[in-house]
Amino acid sequence: MTEFSYILKRILLIIPTLLVILVVTFTIVRLLPGDPASAMIGDRATDADVARINKELGLDQPLPVQFLYFVRQVATGNLGNSYAMHAPVTSVIAERLPVTLLLTGMAALFAIVMAIPLAFVSALKRNSATDITIRGASQVTLSMPSFYIGLVLLTIFAAQLHWFPVGGYGDSFGQRVYHLFLPALTLAVSITSVLIGSLRNSIIAVLDAEYVTFARAKGLSTRVILMRHVLRNSLIPMLSLFALNIGTTIGSAVITETVFAVPGIARLMVDSIFSRDYPMIQGLVIVLSVLVSLIFLITDIVQVMIDPRRAR
Amino acid sequence: MKVKTKLTLLALLATGALSTLSAHAAEVVQRGGTLVYGRYADSNFLEPVLNESNNDIWILSNLYDTLLLPTDDGKGIKPGLATAWKLSDDGKSLTITLRPDTKFSDGSPITAQDVKWSLERAAKPGNGVWQFLVSAIDNVSISDPHTVVVHLSHPDPAILSALTVFNTAIMPEKQFEAEPGATDHDKAAAFAEHPVGSGPFILKSWQHNSTMTLVRNPYYWAKGADGKALPYLDSIKFEIVPDDATRILKLQSGELDGAEFIPYSRVKELQGNASLDMKLFPSTRVEVGSVNARPEIDGKPNPLANPKVREALNYATDKDGIIQLVTFGIGKPMTSFMSTSTPLNSGTKPLYPVDVEKAQALMKEAGYPNGFTTSMNILAGNEDSLSIATGLQQMWSQIGVKLTINQMDNATLNANFRKGNFSTRIGPWTDDIADPNEITSYYAYSKNIQALHSGWKSDKLDQLFEASQKETDPAKRKEEYKEIQDIYNSTGPTIPLYESSYPVALKKDVQGFVQIPLGNNIFTSTWLKK
Repeated sequence: MTEFSYILKRILLIIPTLLVILVVTFTIVRLLPGDPASAMIGDRATDADVARINKELGLDQPLPVQFLYFVRQVATGNLGNSYAMHAPVTSVIAERLPVTLLLTGMAALFAIVMAIPLAFVSALKRNSATDITIRGASQVTLSMPSFYIGLVLLTIFAAQLHWFPVGGYGDSFGQRVYHLFLPALTLAVSITSVLIGSLRNSIIAVLDAEYVTFARAKGLSTRVILMRHVLRNSLIPMLSLFALNIGTTIGSAVITETVFAVPGIARLMVDSIFSRDYPMIQGLVIVLSVLVSLIFLITDIVQVMIDPRRAR
Repeated sequence: MKVKTKLTLLALLATGALSTLSAHAAEVVQRGGTLVYGRYADSNFLEPVLNESNNDIWILSNLYDTLLLPTDDGKGIKPGLATAWKLSDDGKSLTITLRPDTKFSDGSPITAQDVKWSLERAAKPGNGVWQFLVSAIDNVSISDPHTVVVHLSHPDPAILSALTVFNTAIMPEKQFEAEPGATDHDKAAAFAEHPVGSGPFILKSWQHNSTMTLVRNPYYWAKGADGKALPYLDSIKFEIVPDDATRILKLQSGELDGAEFIPYSRVKELQGNASLDMKLFPSTRVEVGSVNARPEIDGKPNPLANPKVREALNYATDKDGIIQLVTFGIGKPMTSFMSTSTPLNSGTKPLYPVDVEKAQALMKEAGYPNGFTTSMNILAGNEDSLSIATGLQQMWSQIGVKLTINQMDNATLNANFRKGNFSTRIGPWTDDIADPNEITSYYAYSKNIQALHSGWKSDKLDQLFEASQKETDPAKRKEEYKEIQDIYNSTGPTIPLYESSYPVALKKDVQGFVQIPLGNNIFTSTWLKK
């Protein structure tokens, strides 16, 4: 299989994946105990209130009818109106998605910037005090809940040193990056811990490989060996791990967005599940699924470009 | 020596005069500025009639004005867009004089037609969950441009209080009807994106779940202490900060001027902070345990149906202990099922002081000398509910009642509650109207939601409530409410726990802010000391 046909096949695979996700989401959301009307009005809801709201929302229709209506909406690019916010789902997501994308993007960048050098130092100074310290520290931060890391960073760098604002989201791009610095760092700390371990192992594996010994024998400098051979080859497994971690990152983003008062989609998702806001949950799952599928697609493409053997 | 004494005297006098002057100056309001206020959750839908949550309600009064306004103690009424009102002798019509020359926030005049349309829309059956508060309104007629007559289908003693409630806000008919959409709901959704009201502020911008900015309404009618139009502030910026610890950090670091819902555990600490003013505003909020009183739950006999068992649970509950445990001493024991801030509360002393021996005797009388196993549904992740439930678990074990705790999310909790699929449950309540009819209709009246979905029923109480809803003699109505409370407090399906206040922390320079017992945040007379 050529690289092109591999990539094409990967792109086409997204369509059935999304279809399955649509059906599963629709079903699971409706299997959740509790209904939107009760969630909206709370414990004061009378049977008449619930019936009236269900009728208004079309929830009095049989499930297959609701599903067809949902598929028709999705096909036309309309994700419906949020029950809780009384606003179009697409516009609410469009307002929030860039926030989470910027946050996770910054977190990914921070994680890479922190993980690669630390993993290299750790691998090159195998079993030294530095290696043990780095691995120990990453174990500690890995086991720390992200809300705790967030609060520690907030207390030190925002409340005491006043280097950063205590959460929120600015108006201009520069302000936003500034506001998102600490939340992104919080997210990055957990990702870094995961990456360091894996990257260190793959660097060690590459360092022990015969072609590195050969390169050394050829008289190449350590720097060239590291950049040309070790980094490139050890990044492939890290890339997959990074993509696999996207789900976890979104999960951590829920807490990070709450602690730092960042108005992203991770928090929106949790709020929507609590309020049984079916259209919003469905819309978010669709958007997130497309995003995650795209990330996997890009990862696969990049991996194939680094190592064309993977297309076969 | 003499000269020295005179000088000292003069200096003392001068200092005294200066301090009096500066104290006086401190009382003089200062205009302008932006107040940054941290809220724990965002509003969803800023539309007075069709909204559903407290997060909407508590902000609406800043954007929309009503004919009458609640007083700051939440118990009385004062003029709003109406300057005078008169009930007819038969109690079936209410003549209202409108304040002259009032305008909406877009500068258009508020007309009698707007008042008629707004009230009739609020009273239309099926229009929002608050419609029942004004269900007595049959129609509204216009006598002259400044007088409207509200015709009632039956006398309603709470009608004046109802005209202070957010869903009777006066809205501009033409602007509302010009919104896109086929239904009232569609138009309301569009209108709520850029509300036109006549409250002290106007919505300027809103990034959902992040910030909401209100600016002063230049057409607002009320005058401040300096004789000029209110409000004093130029704008209010609400920042949504759901995490309690972060909200407090933002306040302490100076990014916020005020923050709501300070956890009780942090109140003492903030009271000790010299730069903050830790307020505990009286509220109508009560925290109660609800008990399912149906003879059977899920086909099995239910011991909680026995009034003696409920009484035993009440005597076994150390309310003061729970108040210490959950509110760190800030709460107060309840004297009735309604708070002491609710008008016509007839309680004189705390209900069911702890008496384990009496509780044990009652359990024996009820036929459960060895107790039984029951469960309590609580909101997952809610620290207060978990503390209460674990406290009750330990307290009730003394009379042999084994309590299992079921934590669930709000939608599941409410769905089970509504279906009567629970044994006991913890939940709070806040009034929306300065009248006892709302809490009574939900908690005690079996024909509304089966006395808070408990399945409990008292024919006598139902009759009294129905009579009180039409009773226009205040003395008689007071008597009826006393009897209602006596019946409910002695035999009802609740474990009254505590009433609490609204903890709001403000910077010292924030003046004149009030959260009334109904929860509304009133920024009309708020100002910042510079």
